[in-house]
Amino acid sequence: MEKNLIKPPVEVRYADELELLAKYDNGKRPENWKLSPKAVRTFILGGKVKTDEGNVEISRKFYGNDALVERCIITLAGNRGLMLVGEPGTAKTMLSELLSAGCCGVSTNTVQGTAGTTEDMIKYSWNYALLLSKGPCRDALVPSPLLVGMEKGIFARFEEITRTPAEIQDSLISVMSDQILNIPELADDGFVFARPGFNIIGTANTRDKGVNEMSGALKRRFNFETVEPVKDVRLEKQIIIREAQNLAKAGHIDMPVDVDAAELLAVTYHELREGITDKGTRIDKPSAVMSTAEAVSVYYQTISHAWYYGDGQVDLNVMTENLLGAVCKENKDDLEKLKSYFRTAVKEKGKVGGLWKKYSETAKLLK
Amino acid sequence: MEKILGNSEIAEMIPFDLSERLLLFPVRHHSPVCSYQLVRTINEYKPDIVLIEGPENANNLIPVLTDENTKLPSAVYYYYKDSKKLVSESAEDYKCYYPFLYSSPEYNAMKQAKILGIPSEFIDLPYCDILINTAEQKGLRKNTEKHSYADDSHLTQSKFYEKICEETNVRSFDEFWEKYFEIAGIFLTPEKFVKQLHTYCIITRLETSEDEMKTDGTFARESHMSQRITEAMQKYEKVLVVTGGFHSLGIYKLISDGKIKSPKLRKIPENLHGCYPMAYSYESADALHGYASGMSFPYFYDTVINKLLESNSPENVYNNLTLDLLVQTAKQTNKKDIPVSIADITSAKTLMDGLSALRGSRECGMYELFDGVTSTFIKGEKTISSSLPLDILRKLATGKGVGFIGDKTHVPPLITDFEEQSKKFRLKIKDVIPNDIEVPLFTTQKGMELSRFLHRMEFLETDFAIMKKGPDLHNNKGRSRVREEWRYKRTPNVDASLIDHTTDGFTIEEACSTMAVKKLHDEMRCVSAAQVAVDCFLMGITLKKTELDLIDEILTADGDFFSVGKGLGFFEMLYSLQALYGFTDFSSLDYIRQCFEKLIISLPSMVNVASERADELISILKSMYSITGNILTSELPVFEQALITMTQSADKEPSVYGAVSGLLYAVDSSRRTDAETAMRGYLMGSTEIKKKGAEFLKGLFCTARDIILSDDSFLQMTDKLITEMEYDDFLEILPSMRLAFSYFTPSEIQDTAKSVAEFHSVEKKDILSTQAVDENMFVFGEELDMEICKIIGI
Repeated sequence: MEKNLIKPPVEVRYADELELLAKYDNGKRPENWKLSPKAVRTFILGGKVKTDEGNVEISRKFYGNDALVERCIITLAGNRGLMLVGEPGTAKTMLSELLSAGCCGVSTNTVQGTAGTTEDMIKYSWNYALLLSKGPCRDALVPSPLLVGMEKGIFARFEEITRTPAEIQDSLISVMSDQILNIPELADDGFVFARPGFNIIGTANTRDKGVNEMSGALKRRFNFETVEPVKDVRLEKQIIIREAQNLAKAGHIDMPVDVDAAELLAVTYHELREGITDKGTRIDKPSAVMSTAEAVSVYYQTISHAWYYGDGQVDLNVMTENLLGAVCKENKDDLEKLKSYFRTAVKEKGKVGGLWKKYSETAKLLK
Repeated sequence: MEKILGNSEIAEMIPFDLSERLLLFPVRHHSPVCSYQLVRTINEYKPDIVLIEGPENANNLIPVLTDENTKLPSAVYYYYKDSKKLVSESAEDYKCYYPFLYSSPEYNAMKQAKILGIPSEFIDLPYCDILINTAEQKGLRKNTEKHSYADDSHLTQSKFYEKICEETNVRSFDEFWEKYFEIAGIFLTPEKFVKQLHTYCIITRLETSEDEMKTDGTFARESHMSQRITEAMQKYEKVLVVTGGFHSLGIYKLISDGKIKSPKLRKIPENLHGCYPMAYSYESADALHGYASGMSFPYFYDTVINKLLESNSPENVYNNLTLDLLVQTAKQTNKKDIPVSIADITSAKTLMDGLSALRGSRECGMYELFDGVTSTFIKGEKTISSSLPLDILRKLATGKGVGFIGDKTHVPPLITDFEEQSKKFRLKIKDVIPNDIEVPLFTTQKGMELSRFLHRMEFLETDFAIMKKGPDLHNNKGRSRVREEWRYKRTPNVDASLIDHTTDGFTIEEACSTMAVKKLHDEMRCVSAAQVAVDCFLMGITLKKTELDLIDEILTADGDFFSVGKGLGFFEMLYSLQALYGFTDFSSLDYIRQCFEKLIISLPSMVNVASERADELISILKSMYSITGNILTSELPVFEQALITMTQSADKEPSVYGAVSGLLYAVDSSRRTDAETAMRGYLMGSTEIKKKGAEFLKGLFCTARDIILSDDSFLQMTDKLITEMEYDDFLEILPSMRLAFSYFTPSEIQDTAKSVAEFHSVEKKDILSTQAVDENMFVFGEELDMEICKIIGI
């Protein structure tokens, strides 16, 4: 696949690493897996691979909770599906892509859950031209990612599962229980048995849980993992820098990352999300999602502006304006909360001078 | 990692040779693998004596700890009173615990020595000398809530461990320790295990600064321990030494260099220091973990060592025990209405096995178990409420048991008395689960005795029992309640507090009596002395003449009118409750008389008291009036004269004036006109004076509300006061008027409203809301009030 894409699939982006890991992977692999669980762990959490030419470093792709990643890998090797839940922007989707790419070599076998998702999008539908000309047959069948996963023995990813109506979600139950999908129109040829290696990775936002709560029967077929926001500011800063670099590279923006500005943003997002400053002062949390992904987006917008309109340096005024746009989306009160944060925490930090002082002076833009 | 730990070059800095006369065995406190390998080593090495790291002033307690009737967790409790200021100028009292679990290598060393018929001894400095040789805020002088002698902070908080966590993909020191030592270590030979532990401890020690080891007492302690080892080697052929792994290198160097400079031991009087055996709990053993003392999940690790010692092979010990715990967690979770199926358990077990394989661990440990439960038992987002299965698992692994000291020779008599009394009243003290008990006070003698026992334990500040409901005599409230509700729980703190009171008496009753006397000696105010009298009343403790005289002296010396007045209220309460509580206390009447006489003298001068203390004064006046009615009847004329003198004062606080007028009316109803005249005086005045009229009414109705009911004159005056007032002024007096009418019963308010309605020629229903308040709304209002009071601190 062509690499020059806005966001190439994980297996394309990290093809070299996957190839290397597969080549030197001596561990036991579950049937149909491309890598052993240990190698998948190294692929996601980073580490060294012993090669003929010496040790080769594999980059870390997921930060935060290593034990969670280990649990996810082992869950997927078993007979239960994996459900990743958590706040928006906590890298659930990225983790599910990494797991799929690491274990099966494919991360694109995906159902995107929406309110309009129907059962045929989950199971199968028909090519009506062929159906009319040939009648119900395999050629006329349009398999869903779930069906593809069962037939090939790979993972099917189900994004935003709780956006899908509950009765549609429940169509997964029989597939997950019996590992079989019946296509009645094909009569005796209509039984599709899942091949070893098949599993399902679902993701769900906890903020959306009230929309379509999963049934107990479906929950029982999944192991749940809660992906939490990054708790360590230093780590969050690293993620912002790394992701912004990647985005900049993809966007052909040849500009060095401003580490100090990334730190400002990491601290701002961390403190607003946690509702407490590093000095222990309580602050109001905005209702908007204060995820690391949002912070990356704000930072990327800022460097894009600097690249195309500015002098190639991060302008804090622009960063604050972007922050304003990211935080104050739905709730008017969020503007007041952001202003209050600048009036108290940022102003206090600005007393020592430096970048924080300049940052506090941008508070006038918060309108 | 295995390569680092197996680095023979580092480990060989301390030889482990069974043919040598001296064998140093390193341990981590409460570590089952250390215990397991130690027992194997003792059996193979066959020493003539076992020397153990521990303050040597507890040597006489070793037989108690290894007694066959003693059940663990138990601890040695050390205390030292620094009245000679040897530790610091602040002359503080110090205490610490040395807990022993079945998994403690120190306990297994003592036990094994007993089995082999060889002596075992503690070799560390006595507790007081450790403190003397430790700098402030270091070692055992750190300002932590609990002090444990078994301190592992050198091992658990080193920079080396941080690097290890990064390199080995573990989350914490405990996970690292479990994986590389507890689980992997049981499959090694003792020699290989000791080498690995030496390697870790030596690297840790080399990273610790000399200054740190000097200030936290490490050097002084190691010198003393080396001295004792050298002495033992002169007496015995083969000496096995069990110390924390961190000390092994220091001790070995001192002995091999022969340059031991043991600190000089101080001669401390016997009454200033000591140690006792005491029952300890798993819960506390785990809580100590927060202070880097020992390991978490103590009950689980106790089951591990028991299993290791009783089986022939360590194979599958961890796998089986974690599976047991998984099943127990599932059962308990199901009981809490969170369904966990067999399929969930199977899935959890599969996950645990998979994780241990992925992590390179030979068997499943606690961290794999926690991961298994996290993934399979929690359905949905992991939150505080959905994490109940993890809480259950944590509790099960921690354990709820409390130990027992089998040999009572060295047990403080107060603890023996506590256990006997608990047995007598059938209180559950064998675990740390809180128990609720209802105590009927007046139906049986046993109920009253139990109440007194619980009040005594509360008085000694043992944290054993807290009264949740019942008569609150300390605040003179809820006297009509006939039962008490208590919550009690035995923790090591209870035993520790009782040990602290050892010098106060042989029984709990004696200790309470001594403490009451001590309290009285510290008190200067009548009200505080009266509170001690209330304590004694509740505890059923009769004070001796000398203490009674002491109260007498406090009353005489106290010049604070309000303190004496409140004291009078308490003594009056005790006097009136004597028969009901079956506790005869002939002294109360004397104190009542004494307080009354003191108050009468000062009473006339109190009429112009500051308005914020007026309510307190009115309350005292009511008490005095009540006493003249039923206890000191002969004092009524004196009291009446004092009230009259008060009314004659030029400057009077209006509510006090109202209360005094009401009391005079109560004594003699013909004085009604005086009250009417006073009220008219307020009505004739300016707006400011009229406002004071509201205060007057508040005081008047507080002491004689029937004055308004006998005829309409007061009601008309009240009506006039309200109707003639501007709206804003009315709002100002409204709180006082509301308070004034709060003394009336609902039916009296109804009648009053009817009369007022007639004055204004309107129907009663037009001015009085008759709609009943919903009960739930009323309860909600009360709760809201309480919350507000809590927030504003009243």
